Amino acid sequence: MAHAIEHEYTTTGLNHRKMLMWVFLGSDCLFFGSLIATYMVYRGQSLVGPYPVDIINVPVTTISTFVLLLSSFAMVQALAATHADNRRAIVGWLLATAFLGAIFIGFQIVEFNTFKNEGLTLGGNLFGATFFTLTGFHGAHVTLGIIWLVALAILGKKGRLGPNTALDVELCGLYWHFVDIVWIVIFTLLYLIGGFDAGPAPLGG
Amino acid sequence: MSPEISENSHTLRSNDDYSTVKMASLERLAESVVDELNKAQGESQMGLLPFRRTGNVSEQSVSNTTKSIGRRSSLKNRSVIFGLLAALFLFAVGCSKDGMSPFDPMGPVAAKQLDLFNVLMWVMVIVFVLVEGVLLYAIIRYRKRPGQAKPPQTHGNTSLEITLTIIPTILVLGLAIWSVFTLFDLQDPPEGSPEALHVNVTGHQWWFEFEYPDAGNGKKIITANELRIPVDRPITLSLESDDVIHSFWVPKLAGKLDMIPTHTNEMWFQADSDKINDDLPVTLYGQCAELCGLSHALMKFQVTVMDQADFDSWAAAYGPPPTISARAKAGQAVFAANCTLCHTIDGPDDPVLSASRLTGFLTGGDITPVPAPNLTDLRTRHTLAAGLVDLSETNLLSWLHDPSEIKANNYMSQRAVMYKTETGTSNLTNEEIDALIGYLLDLQ
Amino acid sequence: MAAITSVIPRPTSYEGLWGWMTTVDHKRIAVLYGVTAFIFLLIAGLEAGVIRMQLASADSTLVSPGRFNQMFTMHATTMVFMVIMPLSVSFFNFVIPLAIGARDVAFPRLNALSYWIFLFGGILLHMSFVVDQVPDAGWFSYANLTEKPFSVDRGLDFWSISLLVLGTSSVAGGLNFIVTIINMRAPGMSMMRMPVFVWMTLITSILLVLAFPVITVGLIELTMDRNFGTHFFIPAQGGDPILWQHLFWVFGHPEVYILILPAMGIVSEILPTFSRKPLFGYPFVIFSGIVIAIMGWAVWSHHMFTVGLGPVANSVFTITTMLIAVPTGVKIFNWIGTLWRGALEFTTPMMFALGFVALFIIGGLSGVSHAVSPSDFQQQDTYYIVAHIHYVLFGGSMFGIFAGTYYWFPKITGKMLNETLGKINFWLLFIGMNLTFFPMHFLGLNGMPRRIYTYTAEFGWEYLNQIASFGYLVLLIGILVFMYNVWQSRNSRHVGHDPWDAPGIEWSIASPPPPYNFAEIPQVLGRDHYWIVKENAEAAGTPITGPEPTVDPKSIHMPSPSYWPLFTAVGVALIGGGLLSHFALSFVGGAIAFVGVIGWSNEPAAAPNDHH
Ligand code: HEA
Ligand code: HEA
Ligand code: HEC
Ligand code: CUA
Ligand SMILES: [Cu+2]
Repeated sequence: MAHAIEHEYTTTGLNHRKMLMWVFLGSDCLFFGSLIATYMVYRGQSLVGPYPVDIINVPVTTISTFVLLLSSFAMVQALAATHADNRRAIVGWLLATAFLGAIFIGFQIVEFNTFKNEGLTLGGNLFGATFFTLTGFHGAHVTLGIIWLVALAILGKKGRLGPNTALDVELCGLYWHFVDIVWIVIFTLLYLIGGFDAGPAPLGG
Repeated sequence: MSPEISENSHTLRSNDDYSTVKMASLERLAESVVDELNKAQGESQMGLLPFRRTGNVSEQSVSNTTKSIGRRSSLKNRSVIFGLLAALFLFAVGCSKDGMSPFDPMGPVAAKQLDLFNVLMWVMVIVFVLVEGVLLYAIIRYRKRPGQAKPPQTHGNTSLEITLTIIPTILVLGLAIWSVFTLFDLQDPPEGSPEALHVNVTGHQWWFEFEYPDAGNGKKIITANELRIPVDRPITLSLESDDVIHSFWVPKLAGKLDMIPTHTNEMWFQADSDKINDDLPVTLYGQCAELCGLSHALMKFQVTVMDQADFDSWAAAYGPPPTISARAKAGQAVFAANCTLCHTIDGPDDPVLSASRLTGFLTGGDITPVPAPNLTDLRTRHTLAAGLVDLSETNLLSWLHDPSEIKANNYMSQRAVMYKTETGTSNLTNEEIDALIGYLLDLQ
Repeated sequence: MAAITSVIPRPTSYEGLWGWMTTVDHKRIAVLYGVTAFIFLLIAGLEAGVIRMQLASADSTLVSPGRFNQMFTMHATTMVFMVIMPLSVSFFNFVIPLAIGARDVAFPRLNALSYWIFLFGGILLHMSFVVDQVPDAGWFSYANLTEKPFSVDRGLDFWSISLLVLGTSSVAGGLNFIVTIINMRAPGMSMMRMPVFVWMTLITSILLVLAFPVITVGLIELTMDRNFGTHFFIPAQGGDPILWQHLFWVFGHPEVYILILPAMGIVSEILPTFSRKPLFGYPFVIFSGIVIAIMGWAVWSHHMFTVGLGPVANSVFTITTMLIAVPTGVKIFNWIGTLWRGALEFTTPMMFALGFVALFIIGGLSGVSHAVSPSDFQQQDTYYIVAHIHYVLFGGSMFGIFAGTYYWFPKITGKMLNETLGKINFWLLFIGMNLTFFPMHFLGLNGMPRRIYTYTAEFGWEYLNQIASFGYLVLLIGILVFMYNVWQSRNSRHVGHDPWDAPGIEWSIASPPPPYNFAEIPQVLGRDHYWIVKENAEAAGTPITGPEPTVDPKSIHMPSPSYWPLFTAVGVALIGGGLLSHFALSFVGGAIAFVGVIGWSNEPAAAPNDHH
């Protein structure tokens, strides 16, 4: 992304871009926070079905969650490889991360499709609206991350990643881990806690 | 004078132009203020009294203000300006016993709210006078004088800071706590009040519907745009809306509360006979206070405060218009043919019908039923089209001829089939309209 | 995009129109922001004129009800998002790097991107006039008036989508300034030595990046309701219009501090300069700013007292709101403390700064009176609120911005605005503003609701409305005088680099500053750095130094111009434009933005010197 005037004196010693990323993630927290808040406010407020208990499939999503967690591990390895200046490993781990992310997205596409077939739509009820908006925006974040990872992998292939440019990988990693953590929150709230809501009242009431 | 700053002067220290300009203008201001004040003094006297009807307290403070003015010339500028401001303030506030002003409360709720405001306002005026006074003093006193050396370079004073943090904290917390008490205090009618009368109010674009589930003897009444209430009796209201958010506000009785679709808000108020100086019945004004579309400004209503006996006879008489005259009989037929899609005229609206009207409205379309004012008791009302104009034969005539002439945007002329003409005026004949008027208003 | 770069080479200089379009120099971006926002000010001011003329008499029929609703909606939306905020950002841009002793912001191209997105977002919103489908639900556009079937034309789509676009710009700008301020301070400039304006910018930027995501979510939900069949705010399908109010005001209240804190920062620079003594209670001013920013998140429901949240919620928000008066008071007291025993020079910037303090107190006190919820039940949605708004926003923010304009103009252009005209300007605005907005207190207390396009004479509101409308004319002349003042300054002589004998570092370099700002990054000596420098010189008997000598710009490695920000911004704007016309356009926009980002990230910040 933006190459600022690098190798320059910074007051805190922290790189500009790294700080930018941190602050951006802070901002993104509020973004997801508001989406999650909307979901929680409307939890159990749908007037008509389908309700979460009818369609949420916790076991399947547990698998995709696990895949996403695994991708974070791959990301860590990619960064380590960058520091170690191991070009093949860099490309390999980056692509592995992207691949795992893609599997997660694949799961999500299948899930959205199944839900749609079972009658859950954006316009159908509030559960559909809040569910698709929240997970959809998360999916968009993951997709963006995949594009970023692939772009980095291409750079890595060209030999432009290494200890000197480890920051490029690190930033992507920060973003990736953040998106991952957000998913954990979403998974907990939408699936583990809210996944069994039935009918208009929360918690199976 | 236009002070030019030369290329090589790094500082203005030697340049007095700025301060002289400012001084001159300040002095001019002070002079004009004194003039103004002399003019305004008479007004302030008159303005203060109605500020609160029983206003001995305020009278006192008039003399206080007047005394302090011009006592010492060094203080003059300051007090003059604030005297002027305070006088202006009270003048304008005090002058308004008009219909929409909360400054003439007719019931306990509005009165308590005003009490709070009065104290609040005085606190604010005092803080204002003090802070602006000190500011103005500093501005005048510490202007740069010719040849003045660099001022002492102070950096702060911690104990002063702490004092000036604690004082406002105490002040605002005091007000806040009082507010909290008032809030809870005004939540429900006090213990031992007479039995409350309940009214369900529904906001519509752009008129108000009032439903008395039990106006006496179990009689259910639905009416529009005119709320009749017995005096000295708490009125509890449930506020709702059919379409968008409106807000229910009768300044003389209570502050506003929003009317929100799918939420029901509860409030209460009461009109006290000892706070009302005129003979009953009196009419108070209300207005929708939340932007609700094109005719938000025209969404008004009236509250008629009456004796319980009058109220009871009104309730007893509530019913479809009697069709005695031939005109009225003819009108009844015209009405049945043209108006009942939206209006009900023979008692409370049928809930099923109301629901279908609402559905028609929400799904849109050119010619659909829409919720419309219940006209059963139109002949006993004072206004037409949500408090917009007086109810008279002439006004009703022009309303029926073309409602948009009276109320630019309303759903009667937009959705009723008889206004789907080239010009937007009714395709009813003059006789039919006349008959309708007879039907609706005979025995007014 | 390699194809693009080979066809359109990277610009190498700032000459001409292309130079302005590709600039990444914070000082030029500041000018772009300032000029654009000022044009929006004229538009929004004109809209205010329509409001005032309509209300000048009872039963007026100058404009239709629909047009009137459009006027106050566009007036407020423009003033808040396209005037005050970008004008503040204009000052951030110009002043911050200079005041912290940096050569530019941390991300110069991101900075340019922010500007271009802001410009296009503003244009997008005003396209609504072209198709005559203008937003008309007020600046906080309460649901469900904004939903179908109550608002069927595209007006509200224009509103929400352009605000989304503008939000992107603000967040990008906020991120940039946070990093710049934390990371690019000259050696010796510790946090507690930063000028107050820098502090307020930092706080404002933090508020920006945290508050905008909240409204973004609200706007996305509204857009989805209107275009993709969801029911977030549609009660008939279970949605809750109150959720919109919460989302809006959770953003909205921090937003009002976003609007005022920069002005407070400006004033905190000007008052000490012309009192000739340092700011009184510097740490208290800083901490109160921080406290305001934190407490600002806990008061949003004071805009919703009449929603019926119940006495408990109303009590909580009454108390938190009342308490916010305390840190604000601390600022006021310290400003007065700064004046105390000073040697006040009444230059135009000083007069505007004093005007700010005087008027903001009035606005703040009426704010406190709204906070008392039982009495706010009578005042909410009346002109009493409108009076409060304009005392804090016009008397506060705008006066602060005018003060800053007069103060930094010689630094920006090297020329001085005429002081006599400046004073005329000040008095016209000061008197005009009181004439316009003071009567509104009474109107509101007398029960005049806001947002009404007409009123009858029976309630006695006409007279005060006439005064207010007359006041508008005075304001109008005031603004014209300001415009003339700027216009005539092109003929004035150059002034020195330090015409005000000011304390800030920015005054130690030439006016206008060279592209690289500081030939040598200064070593900061203390809070009022340049005063200390000058004092030391005086003490040592050496003549007060002139500006740093200029050096050959080529010898300093500066970021080079780039057209990618503009390119990317076009893409972003097209995404929004597509949502308003043909979705296909959005995909084109997305593709352009994507190419833009790739092109951008392949381009080094500074073109290699051997390149040309
Ligand atoms: C620059 C913008 C700005 C600022 C700084 C403020 C500052 C404050 N505002 Fe304001 N406000 C708005 C912009 C702003 N506001 C806008 C735009 C709206 C309307 C939105 C709409 O509906 O369209 C609004 C509406 C609004 C409401 C809602 C009213 C209603 O709709 O019913 C309330 C209610 O509490 C409120 C309160 C306050 C308070 C307590 C402060 C405080 O921060 C003020 C603190 C300052 C002082 C108090 C003065 C100085 C202090 C002293 C001299 C110390 C001594 C003081 C005491 C002891 C009291 N504001
Ligand atoms: C952000 C700051 C801001 C500023 C600076 C202003 C400035 C002004 N405002 Fe505004 N206003 C708001 C924010 C602001 N306002 C908000 C948030 C609302 C609430 C809206 C809502 O309810 O949703 C509001 C609402 C509002 C109303 C209430 C509308 C209603 O409720 O019905 C009124 C009424 O008088 C008003 C008037 C004015 C006036 C007269 C000015 C003046 O100060 C304007 C001065 C400007 C000028 C005089 C411009 C001069 C123009 C020229 C010189 C043109 C020359 C032209 C060319 C050369 C092309 N405003
Ligand atoms: C399509 C629906 C519709 C039809 C048909 C219709 N009206 Fe109305 N009418 C309304 C609505 C809606 C209002 C409220 C308008 C407002 O104040 O905004 C109204 C208001 C009125 C009022 C004023 C009521 C008040 O309390 O202020 C009268 C009187 C009235 N209509 C009479 C008639 C008569 C007589 C007819 C038939 C000839 C008729 N209406 C047909 C919808 C309709
Ligand atoms: Cu109903 Cu405004
Ligand atoms: Cu607020």
